[in-house]
Amino acid sequence: MHLLEAVNITKRFPGVLALNGVDLKVGEGEIHCVVGENGAGKSTLVKVLTGLYRAEEGELSIGGTNINVHTQHLTKAVAYVPQELDLFVNMTVTENLFVPFRSKDRAGGLFRRKPLQRKAQVIIDKLDMNVRPTDVVKNIPVSDQQLLQVGRALAIEDARIIILDEPTTSLTKEETRRLFSVIRKLKEQRKSIIFITHKLDEIFAIGDVVSVLRNGELVGYAPLPEVDYDWIIKKMSGKELDMTKRYRPTKPPGEILLDVANLSGPGFSNVSFTLREGEVLGFAGLVGAGRSEIMQALFGYLPAKSGEVHLFGKPYRMGSTANAIRQGLVYLTEERRSFGIFPYLSVRTNIGVVLPRKTARWGVISRQWENRISQKVMTEYDVKAPSTETLIRNLSGGNQQKVLIGRSMEAEPRVLIFDEPTKGIDVKTKADIYNLMKRLAEDQRVGIILVSSEIEEILRCANRVVSIYQGTVVGENDIGYLNAEKIVSSIIGVNR
Amino acid sequence: MNAKTNESLHRLRAFLVRLRSAWKAWPGSQLGSLTLVLGVIIFVSSLISPQFLTPYNITIVLRSLAFVGIVSLAQGLLLLVGDIDASIGAIAGLGAVISAFFMVKFGVDPHVSLLLGIVAGALLGAFNGLLITAFRLTALVLTIGMLTAYNGLNLAITEGRTITGFPSNVTVYGQGSLFGFPIPALFLLGVYALVWFITKTTVFGRNMYAIGNSIEAAKMVGIRTQRTRIITYALSGGLAGLAGILMSLRIASAQPSIGAIWLLPSIAGPVIGGIAITGGIGSVTGALIGGAIMGVIANIVVLGGVSLYWQQVINGGIVVMAIVFDSLSRRTKV
Repeated sequence: MHLLEAVNITKRFPGVLALNGVDLKVGEGEIHCVVGENGAGKSTLVKVLTGLYRAEEGELSIGGTNINVHTQHLTKAVAYVPQELDLFVNMTVTENLFVPFRSKDRAGGLFRRKPLQRKAQVIIDKLDMNVRPTDVVKNIPVSDQQLLQVGRALAIEDARIIILDEPTTSLTKEETRRLFSVIRKLKEQRKSIIFITHKLDEIFAIGDVVSVLRNGELVGYAPLPEVDYDWIIKKMSGKELDMTKRYRPTKPPGEILLDVANLSGPGFSNVSFTLREGEVLGFAGLVGAGRSEIMQALFGYLPAKSGEVHLFGKPYRMGSTANAIRQGLVYLTEERRSFGIFPYLSVRTNIGVVLPRKTARWGVISRQWENRISQKVMTEYDVKAPSTETLIRNLSGGNQQKVLIGRSMEAEPRVLIFDEPTKGIDVKTKADIYNLMKRLAEDQRVGIILVSSEIEEILRCANRVVSIYQGTVVGENDIGYLNAEKIVSSIIGVNR
Repeated sequence: MNAKTNESLHRLRAFLVRLRSAWKAWPGSQLGSLTLVLGVIIFVSSLISPQFLTPYNITIVLRSLAFVGIVSLAQGLLLLVGDIDASIGAIAGLGAVISAFFMVKFGVDPHVSLLLGIVAGALLGAFNGLLITAFRLTALVLTIGMLTAYNGLNLAITEGRTITGFPSNVTVYGQGSLFGFPIPALFLLGVYALVWFITKTTVFGRNMYAIGNSIEAAKMVGIRTQRTRIITYALSGGLAGLAGILMSLRIASAQPSIGAIWLLPSIAGPVIGGIAITGGIGSVTGALIGGAIMGVIANIVVLGGVSLYWQQVINGGIVVMAIVFDSLSRRTKV
């Protein structure tokens, strides 16, 4: 008897079969990993299980109770921890944990502050967080906020199943380890965990069972000790991928493209580095080390306080994104959804909007030119969408990212900054993006800056690496001299 | 030469194909259903009142529609960018008064005065936009403040008095007809053509949509968001000024109260027409049809002999219904 049994779940969106007869059985006290590429249907499945979406077909029972999946059916037995932060930032840790207050936590119209704070402290200790119950959430570190979201699920005592949607995206190794020990404790309390992730290491570190989704179908199910990396990757992508492959440009780099000297701004100071034609320069550092801020200041999105920058030997003017793009420097944001796409505009418009110089004359847009360019981007970057007129919000994350990369390349940049380009993107699309970076560097002699929190990614793609710790450069090395441990120790400030 | 002709023929053909597919898509689209709603309202109105479809009444509807229509389009532009101007009626009133001042008190050439009124409207709008973007203010709150300030300015200039004595070569723009069409309605068509061109075919218009979708993403792709927003405020203010001036020419007097009740219809038109109040979704064609729906209903209410007080209840009710309907239709079924 399984605690959760979902059978033959089918969910359609206009024009898309998002889930096609998916089965999922989760036993009591089981840690069940769900993996799959972007657009494979993981999020949709979770939303059906939590009752946010209704399904067209299928049966669902939780703890022996049948649930009608054809209607919305929010249930307290399932607690969902979303991937993105979703907290009341102006309220305290305690309030965030227990909202909405149940009647036994209330006295009249007020909530019982002290007892709840004690209960909050228990959860904080469990998660090994470094905060007080009375702290206001916006003042605590991002990693603690992510743990707090997990804490919320713990605060729901009726919850027998906890769904964690990529919970480690902004956690460090140490914080991930803490989270895992919490998950194991939950397992001991006979709670079931559905763990959604892209990181295969994590599956093997913590999972009991793995289910693999591809194109809305369940393509693999196995108890974990019985399978290995290759098996999962093969199931996910439908073909084998070499995880040890290197994507670093092999041609020798050319002239200096970008020369940054003593750049200071919000969250960073005295940053200096150079970038050559045809090379990939990795920027390693922890989340919050100031890497994105450095890049956004260079791009003119954030104000820089001081510093001198030269592009092709000429002084480079900062302070305006429009100027940066015109001078040949383009930045691809990490926050694709809020800072990248225009959700209610078509793929064509999303591409054309950055290219007025190519698609318009005297300020009037030529539909014909725009169609040609957007078709070209769709083919060259292998974007999967019904047509160029589809609203971009209906594309999967990986395909949105391809559109954004394609449109940036059409602006013909000489310097391209990728900020966490594979965040939340599946293994196969990752390889596509790595290949793309290599191709751009080798064939078009673009200088690429790769900001990444995945050391593995930098080792595989970059020629050189700059390590950032608390807003300053703590190392600049050719990748040949480096290994992962060396980068890690520099970015956590060990060998300073 | 031959190749050139060939190419233009090819373009013409492509244009016709697009026109045909747009025509085919019309009944199923949102604009199609809006047109249908308008048609039903007109049909029902003709049943309620035999006077409704008389040529005389039609010209009255078209003439009054012009003012509501122009401010609907003006406000619609701002809503597309995710902005709003609550002082739009006050700007219209000031535009009318300033234009009349130049014409009657200073003896400036009438046509130049009309232009000055429009420019004044544009400047007032741009000033709102400047304050909002420079100090990062909430558009609604700031413009409610400016509504009072501009009204006050209007009363201070006129000392509360009506300005009369327009030369008849300009009052014709408010009162006259051309081939049976009231001239204000022709102005509305001209304004519609202008804003359609701007929003649908120009880089500027697409930047408006982009900002309405996501202002941060717009900054990231190098769109000058502050400039675009201020220009949109100016455009909207200029159109409001035009509407106010046309109204003053129609009644042959610039009264400080012109535009005082235009705020509500200016928002209702675009919202009924499918422009999202949060920006980035919808079209000016929708705003125009929405404005027409408001105008026709206002007319039939009068013809039906509803008292002035109940007219307000009905007008307000329609707006509330439109907003509820809009929200329901946007709610994605999952």
